Formats: sequence, structure tokens, C-alpha cells
Amino acid sequence: MSTETLPRAGFDLDRPWRLHPKVSVRPERFGALLYHFGTRRLSFLKSPALLTVVRSLVDAPSAREACRSAGVTEAELPAYAAALETLASSQMICARVSS
Amino acid sequence: MSERAATADRTEATDHLVAQTQAEEPALAADLLVEEVSIDGMCGVY
Repeated sequence: MSTETLPRAGFDLDRPWRLHPKVSVRPERFGALLYHFGTRRLSFLKSPALLTVVRSLVDAPSAREACRSAGVTEAELPAYAAALETLASSQMICARVSS
Repeated sequence: MSERAATADRTEATDHLVAQTQAEEPALAADLLVEEVSIDGMCGVY
């Protein structure tokens, strides 16, 4: 059995994503605060690197590539995939249709 | 309500949450990258 740490299956790292258009981002020392004007929910991003990932999603061909360009290592990828899954489930980010 | 007005309304509540988060930061688990909060029902939030 492989000991490789795999990202959680619930979030597709290999598709393009974007910040939801109704979400505003306020950078903070610990990372950022996201506010969704539709759901009226707040999400705290407790890592500046995660803020970089979220902001770069719109230009990246996949979430995996956004993580890579933000400096997220393979070892860190499962935690970031889980964080992105949480943000997707709360509609802070949404899947983007490739053009 | 406009989004700009909503932003102003939530400032006090969110500032409190941000201050709380900054205070808690050292105790956070390393893998806890996202925390979610609903502001419905908070004083001053419409």
C-alpha cells in the first residue's frame, strides 16, 4: 500500500475554480476575511498562502496549479484541498467553466 | 440594502471577529486553514 498522502476526494483540484462574484475579500494579518453577500457568511482564511491561492484561482487552469504557483508543497496540498473544499461547500468559491 | 451599506453595517461585528481570530492565532492547529462564521443574528447586522 502506498504511503503517499493524497488530497481529499471531495474537491477536484484539477478543474478551474474562481472566487464567487458575491464574495468580497479583506486581507488581514493572519490571512483574510471573506464575506459572501448572498449567504451572509464569513470565512476566515488563516494563511496568507491560502489567500494567494484563492486570488489566483481565476487565472489558473486548475486549483492544483493555483496552489503550486502560491508555493504550496505536495505535503501541504491535502490541507489546502480540504480548505478549498470547505470554501466550495460554502459557495465562497465556485467551479469555473473553461473557455 | 446596497452592498456598500451592508459592508458598513457589518464592520463592527467583523472587526470584533477579526480581533478574536488574531488573539486565538497561536493556538490554532496547523492544518486548520479555514473557519466559517454566520453573522445572521449578530447585533448591528441587517
